[in-house]
Amino acid sequence: MKRWLRIQSEPIDEAKLSKERSISNGIGAVIYFLGVVRATEGTETISAIDYEAFEKMAHHQFAKIFDEAERRWPIESIRLVHRIGNVPVNEPSLWVEVAAPHRAEAFAACQFVIDEMKKVVPIWKRPVK
Amino acid sequence: MKVRVCFHSYFRELTGTDQIDEEVRDGETLGELVKRLQQKFPKLKPMERSTLMAVGVEYQTHDYPLHEGDEVSLFPPVQGG
Repeated sequence: MKRWLRIQSEPIDEAKLSKERSISNGIGAVIYFLGVVRATEGTETISAIDYEAFEKMAHHQFAKIFDEAERRWPIESIRLVHRIGNVPVNEPSLWVEVAAPHRAEAFAACQFVIDEMKKVVPIWKRPVK
Repeated sequence: MKVRVCFHSYFRELTGTDQIDEEVRDGETLGELVKRLQQKFPKLKPMERSTLMAVGVEYQTHDYPLHEGDEVSLFPPVQGG
């Protein structure tokens, strides 16, 4: 399985990521998820979220999640970008793409990667008013 | 022997530092070290049940036996995405 991971402070460039997509003839499903900063956190109105990562461990924990996704589903590739630092409202903080032969496994794997990330990858957020 | 302890996210505010070096005795466990740190930094104590512990880049449990040069990390629940 091909895997590509970035934890970056630069904005997520969806157009560039789409352009760089490379899939084989056996792929029937490419799905991607975009996590976007909402203008509310609980009852508070916010202008941005400031993300912090323990990067060395985050890379390792993402690698373990990708290993497990590969074990469970016949995925050709996973690409993931998590933005850190100040991410304004309406801008994406997370971009995850899964390519697989069929949509069921692509959706399942994408959901799995995000769910596991939220449990174990050391990234934290602070709302900015 | 010595281990390094790193605090992440708002644990830095609770302790007033991002890292400290701690002397630990042979055979001391991660859980014992964390208990001592809660005495040293009382603001960590209320976070006891939600504190996550890692050594290097792996999560560890209270019974993990510490080794010379271990880099311990303590932090609150993660919130990526």
